[in-house]
Amino acid sequence: MVEIKRYSPVSFKASPKRTEIRDNFTVVLEYEGEGQQPFDPSNSKDNYIVDLSHITRFDVQSSNLDDITPFGIKIPQGLCESYLQDSVLINRMNRVQASIFCLPVKKDESSKECQFDFQCSCDSDCKCDPKKSSAYTETTEVGMCMAIFGKNTFSITEKLTSLDFLDPVKKTPFLYQGPMSHIPCQIITLSRDGAKSGIIFTASRGYGKDMTHAIMDAGAEFGLKPAGEDRFKSWAGSL
Amino acid sequence: MVTRITQLPTLRIDPAQKVVFDYKGKDYAGFKGDTIATALYHNGVKIFGRSLKYHRPRGLYSLDGECSNTCMEVDGIPNVRTENTLLKQGMKVKEQNVKGSAENDMMGFIDKLDFMMPAGFYYRTMHKPAVLWPVAMKQIRKAAGIGTISPDFEMPGRFEQIFPSADVVVIGGGPAGMNAALAAADKGLRVVIMESRPWLGGFFDYRTVDYRDSEYKKNKQLYIRAKELASKVESHSGIRVFKHASVVGTYTNNLVTGFQIGGEKDNFTERYIEIRAKSVVVAAGCIERPLLFENNERPGVMQVGCVHRLARTYGIIAGERAVFSVGHDLGLEAAIDLFDLGMKILCVADVREDGQNPYLMIELAKRNILLLKGWVVSEAHGSKRVKGVTMTTLDGTISRDFECDLVAASAGFTPINGHLTLAHAKLRYDSHTNFFVADTMPERTYSAGRMLGLEDSLSIEVSGMLAGLKAALECKKFYDAGICKTSDGVANSQESINQLSSEIDTVTAKLKELPGTARGSKFVNAPVKGRKSFICFDEDTTIKNIKQAVEMGFDVPELIKRFTSAGTGPGQGGIPGHNLPLYVAKYTAAKNSSSGSHPKPTNVRPPLVPTFISTYAGRKHIMMKRTPMDQMQRADGGVFRKIGVWERARYFSNDFSCKKEIENVRNNVGMLDGSTLGKFRIHGPDALKALQRVYVSDMSKVKAGRIKYSAMCNDDGCVIDDGVVIKLGENDYYFTTSTARAGSTIEWIRYHTRFDGWDFYLVNLTDSMGVINLSGPNARKVLQKVISQDNDASIQDVSNEAFPFSGYREFMIKNTIPVKAMRLGFVGELSYELHVPSSYMVSLWNMVKEAGKEFNIQNFGVEAQNVLRMEKCHIILGQESEQRTNLLDLGLGFLWDRTKKDAKTIGAAALRHAENDPTRFRLVGFKMEDNGRAPNDGALIVDDKVRGYVCTARDSFTLNEAVGMALVESHLAEIGTRLAIFEDECKGELIYGKVVPMPFYDPDGRRMKS
Repeated sequence: MVEIKRYSPVSFKASPKRTEIRDNFTVVLEYEGEGQQPFDPSNSKDNYIVDLSHITRFDVQSSNLDDITPFGIKIPQGLCESYLQDSVLINRMNRVQASIFCLPVKKDESSKECQFDFQCSCDSDCKCDPKKSSAYTETTEVGMCMAIFGKNTFSITEKLTSLDFLDPVKKTPFLYQGPMSHIPCQIITLSRDGAKSGIIFTASRGYGKDMTHAIMDAGAEFGLKPAGEDRFKSWAGSL
Repeated sequence: MVTRITQLPTLRIDPAQKVVFDYKGKDYAGFKGDTIATALYHNGVKIFGRSLKYHRPRGLYSLDGECSNTCMEVDGIPNVRTENTLLKQGMKVKEQNVKGSAENDMMGFIDKLDFMMPAGFYYRTMHKPAVLWPVAMKQIRKAAGIGTISPDFEMPGRFEQIFPSADVVVIGGGPAGMNAALAAADKGLRVVIMESRPWLGGFFDYRTVDYRDSEYKKNKQLYIRAKELASKVESHSGIRVFKHASVVGTYTNNLVTGFQIGGEKDNFTERYIEIRAKSVVVAAGCIERPLLFENNERPGVMQVGCVHRLARTYGIIAGERAVFSVGHDLGLEAAIDLFDLGMKILCVADVREDGQNPYLMIELAKRNILLLKGWVVSEAHGSKRVKGVTMTTLDGTISRDFECDLVAASAGFTPINGHLTLAHAKLRYDSHTNFFVADTMPERTYSAGRMLGLEDSLSIEVSGMLAGLKAALECKKFYDAGICKTSDGVANSQESINQLSSEIDTVTAKLKELPGTARGSKFVNAPVKGRKSFICFDEDTTIKNIKQAVEMGFDVPELIKRFTSAGTGPGQGGIPGHNLPLYVAKYTAAKNSSSGSHPKPTNVRPPLVPTFISTYAGRKHIMMKRTPMDQMQRADGGVFRKIGVWERARYFSNDFSCKKEIENVRNNVGMLDGSTLGKFRIHGPDALKALQRVYVSDMSKVKAGRIKYSAMCNDDGCVIDDGVVIKLGENDYYFTTSTARAGSTIEWIRYHTRFDGWDFYLVNLTDSMGVINLSGPNARKVLQKVISQDNDASIQDVSNEAFPFSGYREFMIKNTIPVKAMRLGFVGELSYELHVPSSYMVSLWNMVKEAGKEFNIQNFGVEAQNVLRMEKCHIILGQESEQRTNLLDLGLGFLWDRTKKDAKTIGAAALRHAENDPTRFRLVGFKMEDNGRAPNDGALIVDDKVRGYVCTARDSFTLNEAVGMALVESHLAEIGTRLAIFEDECKGELIYGKVVPMPFYDPDGRRMKS
């Protein structure tokens, strides 16, 4: 009898310490040797990488994006602007398209409750619930998704991409659609605040293994280590 | 061994730390901070190698790697510039380009045969008779060349790459560069400074003379000022310093590339650096212009700066009895300083009759150093090392000989303006400075310091400051241009721009008050014939060679450079870059005054500094896509190959004919991972219009529950893609493309609908869906077992009636895994394609495998699929087509709906023209004669001309004969035509096939459709 499981395209050479089965994914909450708990992002000297490929993501497209309000939230108007509210991260990709990430950010709640449980009251022609409107396409499976955070985040990324994450004209959070390790990515800079610096990014799922290898190699000199979702929540919750 | 001075404040070595290295199998010691070259020199090694062509002895000359003199083999790596390479414990150093040793090179006799090798001899001789050329070429290549390397040599070390962000990049960490960096960084900008030496300081770093400007304290020496500036720069939070980092390329839009050599604490051996800056300041300084005289590259002849820095930076007094032949005040300053450090200076010849700094004249006189104004060295004596020199007046009327072991020679300075040239600055000759200077600068690029012709220390600093401010202003303007506004960091009001402009005016005025550009040394070459006066050390090009080229009619330096090879060696034109155009101008003017004599600089190209290929390669991560089944297929014995962007299982055994895999599909059931197929959702009110535009078929006929196979063409009617389309709902479709086209499909559709204003949207779902291709006579039974649980009866029925060929179904497996199932037949058997969310792919694959266990289900790979579909004559684009192959050539005309004219189907117009064109190729099937073997893919179909080519051909196990498909001229397409096939290296022995009807296997399609 085959057990039904979902597999992330990303795997780290580390031993999970605590895991949780969620929607058939085995989500690692903490790895062995991850570091101090509870995690204080503002005083950490460490750099972490977290696999978030299991989080729900959507693509939304419409000629009138202003009318679309994913989970009741307005899509940012400026090109490549992002907006983070509670657990929803919305990124304006172009005139007609945005991407949506449902992040696990609520530190004090259980992981399951962090999955967005949105109830809208629309009767028809719903524009806020991804499950009801045809403007949305679920893209969770399209790409791998990872977060890198810690004080050396941008020392690591500058080994992988020429994108200017520290561009003073950009205000966090903001989106880049460009290459990392030569692979097209969506990269959202969530913070540039010293030890709390961090990004979240997606790329085609098929590149999961090689991308992980390239990032871990680039991060080796900065002690980049895998972390579980709980550490991500602590970090994201501190932003 | 040369005695070291170990107490100088300017030293960059640590005499307390010995570094032991191996030179030709023997241990030597240097100090920490030594380069390999200085350590060797300290140990008495004066000859580092032999020259490229004449095998002349070569030694230390510039200390900055301006020529190949000191290129050696280090730790197995040839052509290491030992002047620039820091000594490391345990290094193994060897001389190169010698037969015997550098000291006694058996090939040294070639130096006497120079009369046989005039300019361009390589091009002009040894090709008549033609039979001589291959022999001559081999011998010449054996004798010449610098360094050897094994083809399987693996470069040791760790090579990285880095793409730092910066507003301003400053090239050069000397006084001008550091001032520029500070000025820009103080305005809140992000500055990167790149310095090729392992420390900042540049021109000031090794000099102990005082500032001669009232603004600075008396007795403050230049090297102290350099340290002050370096300390400020390195502690400035807005400046990032890359030391031991050479810039190798500057490009339009301020792209700067370079590489950095790693130090002890760095985790890289070398790293490639690439920066896209908003502004660039070039403050790269100057190099010395070689003096042209007989044997001007004999070991013991060095540039003045080399001799001076050897003493001040490395504590090495380069010779016991020295003669100076110079053309500038720095030469006089060096002679005075080196005299004070204990060097015996026999005389200083200065090509200038006047214009020397009076202060330096007095200091020379105080030390009783003989100064000969208007004199120059004309010849260095000594067969392997300098043993003496002849000095003459410039007109050659009077001469004097000196016995010496060191000649410090310098004709003047030349700016390092390769960075500007690469960025498309236009250079012109300036007769005052005798420099090539930029007439028009590249956008947002500024130069500063000595390369402008400034010699006064304060002027150099202020020019740097000015360049830094100008660079900052450009950045501020950029930020203020309305494209973007800063949020955190740079204040960009018009007020701040005005303030900066006013500051620039102030600094400009200040610079005007300071000493301006100095008069440069004029071009001088000693009054000799030039048979052994080398203008390019790397390529052994002499003045005589240049004269020969001019005599042969070459009058442009750029052409002479090519004809004589001057400046094409590893030094990247550093040594001849300035002298060549000046000499050509002078010589051509002397020959014919009407032809003009204005010096024209030669071009430079990246890399400006020799760079390892491994540095460009970086970490060499191979980024390939993997399907969700990657690991499991490897565990099952899959043999993987790189196919496009994917790694795919091509075989499942070492039998690359795939006999078992093929037979299993034909007779039983197999499963293939087809996840690499392109998959897309198209939705929106005008989705159908877009499909009608790009597909040749009438897509309005796509019915719910059915799949439609169709093709896309380009404007020429040539097939670019094929796949199936499914209607998911109103204005909502799912379609597949070939693996190769997945990456460009969205752009393709957007491009071809760009003027229509249609409202539709595309989502690339390629990676989101894994695909299992379940094929073979038992496929239905396996599928039945998989879906028998938790589905209602209507879904469970997969009979031919309920789920026919070209049918489409959606169902859930165990109420969890959503599956899009299609009934297809690419391999010519009963087949199902199961599209499933990628994260569930492994689970479903295991279920199929478990369900198929009783049938002994097996994997099959891409090659087996290739043979199976070829037997059925199903095409693979790229295999049965190339870029000129249209829909009709492939026999796919039945897909084209000629009636949907409103759709403006891409390629339809061209297909109408091609329809009656008899000259086009046709795809035909063929069998080999006499049960012969299959020809190679790509083999040519010939008669007296090439008439086509074999697309795919294999020995078919199913048919027990060799079959294939070929694209041939239409007159060969008739059934029964004999095809003559020419294969690579067949030595004229053709093999033959015969055109037969297609498909070869199951022509009625019963197996596929039943």
